[in-house]
Amino acid sequence: MLETINLSKSFKGKKVVQDLNLYLADGESVGLLGPNGAGKSTTISMISTLIKPTSGRITMNGVNAIAKPGEIRSVSGVVPQELALYQELSAYENLKFFGSIYKLRGKELEKAIQQALEFVGLDDRKKDLVKTYSGGMKRRLNIAAALLHRPKILILDEPTVGIDPQSRNHILEAVRALNQTDGTTILYTSHYMEEVEQLCDRLYIMDHGKVIAAGTKDELLSILSTENKIKVELNKLDEAFVEQVKTIEGVHKTEVTELQLKIIAAKGSNLISKLVHLTEQHQIQLLHFQTETPSLEDVFLHLTGRTLRD
Amino acid sequence: MKNVLWVQFSKDKRNPLLVLLLIAGSIVAAILFGGGIQSATTVGIFSEEADAAEIEDKWEALLNTDDSFTFEIVEPEEAREDIKKGNIDVAVKVMEDDYRLLVSKNMPTVSSVERHVDKAFQQEAQISAVESQVGEDVRDEMESYLEDAPFQLEAQGLDSEQIPTYNIRTQLLFSFTFLISMFILGFKVNNVTQDKVAGIWDRMILSPMKKTGMYSGYLLYSFLITMLQIVIVLIVFKYVLRYDVGDSLWLIILIAACFTFGMISIAMLITGFVRTPEQFYAIYPSVIPLIPLVSGAYMMPGTITNSVLLFIADLFPLAHAMEAIMSVVFYGAGLQDVMMSLLYMLLIGVVAMGLGINLVERRSS
Ligand SMILES: Nc1ncnc2c1ncn2[C@@H]1O[C@H](COP(=O)(O)OP(=O)(O)O)[C@@H](O)[C@H]1O
Ligand SMILES: [Mg+2]
Repeated sequence: MLETINLSKSFKGKKVVQDLNLYLADGESVGLLGPNGAGKSTTISMISTLIKPTSGRITMNGVNAIAKPGEIRSVSGVVPQELALYQELSAYENLKFFGSIYKLRGKELEKAIQQALEFVGLDDRKKDLVKTYSGGMKRRLNIAAALLHRPKILILDEPTVGIDPQSRNHILEAVRALNQTDGTTILYTSHYMEEVEQLCDRLYIMDHGKVIAAGTKDELLSILSTENKIKVELNKLDEAFVEQVKTIEGVHKTEVTELQLKIIAAKGSNLISKLVHLTEQHQIQLLHFQTETPSLEDVFLHLTGRTLRD
Repeated sequence: MKNVLWVQFSKDKRNPLLVLLLIAGSIVAAILFGGGIQSATTVGIFSEEADAAEIEDKWEALLNTDDSFTFEIVEPEEAREDIKKGNIDVAVKVMEDDYRLLVSKNMPTVSSVERHVDKAFQQEAQISAVESQVGEDVRDEMESYLEDAPFQLEAQGLDSEQIPTYNIRTQLLFSFTFLISMFILGFKVNNVTQDKVAGIWDRMILSPMKKTGMYSGYLLYSFLITMLQIVIVLIVFKYVLRYDVGDSLWLIILIAACFTFGMISIAMLITGFVRTPEQFYAIYPSVIPLIPLVSGAYMMPGTITNSVLLFIADLFPLAHAMEAIMSVVFYGAGLQDVMMSLLYMLLIGVVAMGLGINLVERRSS
């Protein structure tokens, strides 16, 4: 088991990660969710032993992994957020190099390369230069390069940013297969709620360097179990109207997107009739109306007052 | 380390153009600025005295004493016109026992022409002075006496039978070769920063690979590719263009190897100060061309006398490499004679490498 205790990191006095407590049990699939700048990559860098924390501890099966980084390095594979590849070389040549640094040689190396290529679906393009690849293919190769030495723990930092849905699905499926078939432990970082929701048993939600919520999906959703989410579409929207909606009793959060208004309010508050009343007062027409059970996205909105994409 | 060498080579194999262009560039630059294929410079002489033809003939004979210059009689108007237009650098107007130099631009050739002409006139003036005092046949007597003088002075190089002949062309050949070397090795050292920014370095850090293996892979590749350039250029000049680069090619290559090591370390030191490969590309090419200037690599040895410049030049391997190579090529010096220069370059290399790697490591933590 990998564990962090009050892990913190400051850059030039600016606290980027604060008192982070996190654990990864063997065979688990864990998500680390947060908007850009939340401190996810910094956390990943500390856990993978690339940077030293300012304070706090990291242990691997009880051994201090800051003093003995080999404990983590020998069993983990890291997929960095950036494309750490030689663009001027082919996929095969890249994997040959990244395999060789793990002391793989000869037949063993060839087999590892072949398996990794097939796993990410790049076998038929292995002789092509990486710079001719699509964004999605590069991302897949970036993952393949971390799999050659068959790590027990795979740490992925936003492996799907800026790619086509097809590659994205391929990656999600591949990671799921690694976890469920091979029993690989997964730490998956993302700012896409859906991915983490699909893939992970447990998740940590991070914002401004702190974990603001943690648990299984159901546990996190229960934070909002006493809340209702209402979506209304209107023919026009003005500031004064929104301000008055906020003063309705039981309303916790509002979010405006064009002519749509999302409201999170306590269950059982007499919201709907009050809302209808307000639209009449402001001479606004109510076009569409829908109540939903809250999603993890709403949990984040509830906890931070912001959306993940901000 | 071997895998780093392999991956760097694979990249260059895909895009060999830059390295090949640089190698070709150093050959072309040496030929262009070195004044092309070896040939004597022709200098025009003319006279505007009453008995011009006689004076011209007399001095033509006296001036054409060796094969570094050919003095040719030309029409005065033609010479003045060519000077005005800058077609030729220098012409000599001769009088009965004096001369004037007509100069269009101050090229290195002008001062050597002046030295040569001045010597001939001085000598002639002395002979005339003796002649006017003693009588008629002094000139013949002097000549026959000198041919069988009691003291025979024979100038010799250290080990060779020939008189060492300093030659700016050969010097420039090395100056330009090393200038290009500094660019090649720098660009290769910059791959460290490039791979760091790309995240490839981090992949290696996390692998069982040793740090020393990583650094030596990059640095050794830079070294090998630079030595390849130097050796190719030397072979082309020695065996194809038939330049006289002395007999100890192996010693020249040894000097070049120490130079390359020293300069790679300086490139590593600069790497320690930059964060991105682009910053290196901005700083390095603006610093490098200054080194040969400060080191006097484009000028006759001894031209630079300013002690501050001399001190700065001593901090870089180039000055030591040029000094060692000049003594090997022109004076037939051996390993013992250039040992100090080699040690200086190795010392610069070890110190700069230590500082550079330290800075790079501090950067990344
Ligand atoms: N090396 C660094 N030096 C200074 N600030 C940094 C450094 N790395 C990250 N940061 C800052 O730390 C914060 C968190 O960054 P990061 O961990 O990359 O967030 P995320 O991966 O969640 O987007 C950002 O504000 C970023 O600017
Ligand atoms: Mg990040």
